[in-house]
Amino acid sequence: MAEREGTDSPRAVLHDIRYSRYDGVLRPRSSAVSGFVASSVRRPLGLRRSAGSKVWPFLLLAAAYLPALAVVAVPLLVPQVPLQPTELISYPNLLTTNSVVLLAFVATAVPSMLTRDRRDRVLSLYFATALSWVEYVVGTALAAVVLLALVVLGPLLVLFVGSIATADDPGGWLGDNLGDLPRIVLAALLVVLFHAALGLAVGSLTSKRVFAVGGYLAVVLVGPVITRVLALVLASDWPLALDPTTGPVLLATAVLDGSGGPGTLAWVVWSVVVAGGFGLLARRYSGGSDA
Amino acid sequence: MRVSTDPGTTRDPGPPGMECVAVSKRFGAVQALDDLTVTFGAAATGLLGANGAGKSTLLRAALGLSRPDSGTLRILGLDTVADRGEVRRRVGYMPEHPCLPADMSAQDVCVQLARLRGLGRRDAVRRTSEVLFAVGLEEERRRPVGSYSLGMQQRTKLAQALVHGPDLVLLDEPTSGLDPAGREEMLAIVRRLSTELGIRVIASSHVLEDIERTCDEVVVLRSGTLAAQRGVEVDHVLAGPVELRTTGDTGGFAAALEPLLAPHGVTLAPTASGDIGLSASSDAVLDLVRDLAAERGTGVLRLVPAERGLEDVVVDAMGVHRG
Repeated sequence: MAEREGTDSPRAVLHDIRYSRYDGVLRPRSSAVSGFVASSVRRPLGLRRSAGSKVWPFLLLAAAYLPALAVVAVPLLVPQVPLQPTELISYPNLLTTNSVVLLAFVATAVPSMLTRDRRDRVLSLYFATALSWVEYVVGTALAAVVLLALVVLGPLLVLFVGSIATADDPGGWLGDNLGDLPRIVLAALLVVLFHAALGLAVGSLTSKRVFAVGGYLAVVLVGPVITRVLALVLASDWPLALDPTTGPVLLATAVLDGSGGPGTLAWVVWSVVVAGGFGLLARRYSGGSDA
Repeated sequence: MRVSTDPGTTRDPGPPGMECVAVSKRFGAVQALDDLTVTFGAAATGLLGANGAGKSTLLRAALGLSRPDSGTLRILGLDTVADRGEVRRRVGYMPEHPCLPADMSAQDVCVQLARLRGLGRRDAVRRTSEVLFAVGLEEERRRPVGSYSLGMQQRTKLAQALVHGPDLVLLDEPTSGLDPAGREEMLAIVRRLSTELGIRVIASSHVLEDIERTCDEVVVLRSGTLAAQRGVEVDHVLAGPVELRTTGDTGGFAAALEPLLAPHGVTLAPTASGDIGLSASSDAVLDLVRDLAAERGTGVLRLVPAERGLEDVVVDAMGVHRG
C-alpha cells in the first residue's frame, strides 16, 4: 500500500494482485461446511446464475407463499374483514395446499443437488483436496433441508407472523399462541426430512438428472395409486399409511392439531424412509470415492 | 506496496513432495501399482509412462481417492491415510478430465473451492483474483465455465488447484487436449509454479517434451513399477566421446582415421550399432574427421555425443521399441 507522505489518510491505494503464498489461518471445518451448504442452497434457486435459471424455482416459491401472503394481506389491507389469517386458512390446510408445490420443488431441486456434481465430475475435486465424504453428505443433506424448509416452514411462519401483525392485541395473541411455534417447526420438519431423504436417496442412485427426477416423481405419484388400490382390494385403511405423498402431511397435521393422526404404521414408514434415505446416501458416498 | 517475495529461494525445501514405499494396488486382474518405491524430491517432477503404467492410480492414491492395498504413501512427509485432512489442506490437484461445473464462473468455482479448503470469504475472493490473474483469466473470470475454450478450462482447473496456496500441486496431464498456443501458455505457467512461486509440482504426462520443459526430474513408470528416475538436465561434456556414422566403407574410414587421431590421444572402437566410437571430440579431432571425409569423398551421416540422452532413457524405460 502506498501513501502520500505527510498526510494521515491515503489518497490512493495500490493493490498487488500477483500470486503470493497464503499464510493466513484456516477456518474450522464447520465454516467450510456452512459455505458448502450456502452454495448448495443458492444453486437450485438459480442465485448467481442466469435470469432464466431463476424463473422456475422462484415461480414455485411464489406459489408456495401466495396463499399465506394472501390471507395475511386481506385483514391487513381490508380492515372490515374481522377474521384472523389462521381463521381463513389453518396451518394443516396451508400444509396440504402446498403439497403439490412441494412435490414439484423437491423433484426439480433435490435430486439434482447430487446428480449435477456427478455429471460435472466435480467430486474428484471435492474429495481430493476440499471436502471429506462425510462433510459432503452432511452438507448436501443440510442444504436440502434448508431448501425445503423455505417451501414448507416459510409459509407457515408467514401465517404465524401475519397473525401477530393483524391481531387487535399482538402481544396478547403472541402470548396465547406461542405454543404453536414449536409444533409448526416440528410439523414442517417431519415433511421436510421425509422428502429430503427420499429425494437425495433417489438422486444418489444415478448421475442422470432425468432419471433422478423421474424416480422421485414415480415414487410420489405412483405410490398413492398403489396404496389406494391396496386399500380397495384389502377393504382396509391400513395401506393408506404407506402413501408417500399424504403420509408425512398427515403426520404433520396430527402434530399441528393434536389429533390422532394416521397411526403407528405411518410413523414407521416415515422413520424407515428418513433413516433409509440418509443411510443410502451415506453408503453411496462412503469411502470418498468419486466414482 | 506489498511485494511478493520469491519463496523458491528462501523456503526450506522440507520433506520430499511424495514418497512411496512398497506401494501396491490391484484392480481385479490388473496390478496397477506393484511394490512401487520411489521418492519425488525435486521441485518439479514429471511422471511419465504409457497408458496403464500406473500414473493416474498413483496420483489418486496420493490424494486418498483410492487406498493402496499395501505399502506407505507420504505427501510432504504426511501419511496420506492417517493425515488425510492436512494433506488435503496442503495439496492442490488438477485432474485430467473435465471437472468444473459448467454453469458456474471461474470466479465462483475458485472462491467456492477456497472456502471449502478453509479460507474465509474475504481471503477466498482476494486469492481468487490473484490466481486468476496468474493464469491469465482475469478478464474472463465472470463468464460461465461452460462457455470457455478448452485452454481456458484447463487454466481454471489450474487456478482452483492453486487458490488455497498449496505446497504441492499434482497435475494430471495439464496440456491434454490443448492446441499449440494453449499448450505453450500452460507449459509456461506450470514452469513458473516451481521456479518463481515456490510450489512443488508433480505432473503426469505422456509427452516427454512437456516434462523436459517444466520439470527438474523425471520418474518413469512401467506396469506399476519404477522403470527409471533421473534429472531432466543432461550435462553434455563438450569434447566428450562421440559416435560417428559414415557412408561407404565404415571399417576403411576408421582404419584411415585411427593413425590421424592417435597423436591426439583419441582411441577408436566400434559401437554396438556398428558406428565408430571416438573417445574424445575436441575441435582439432572433429576437424580431422571432416578433412578425412572430404578427402575420401565419404559422407558423415551421424555425429552425436555418445552419452545417452533423456529421450533414450525414457523410451528404453517405457519399453517402447523404436523403428
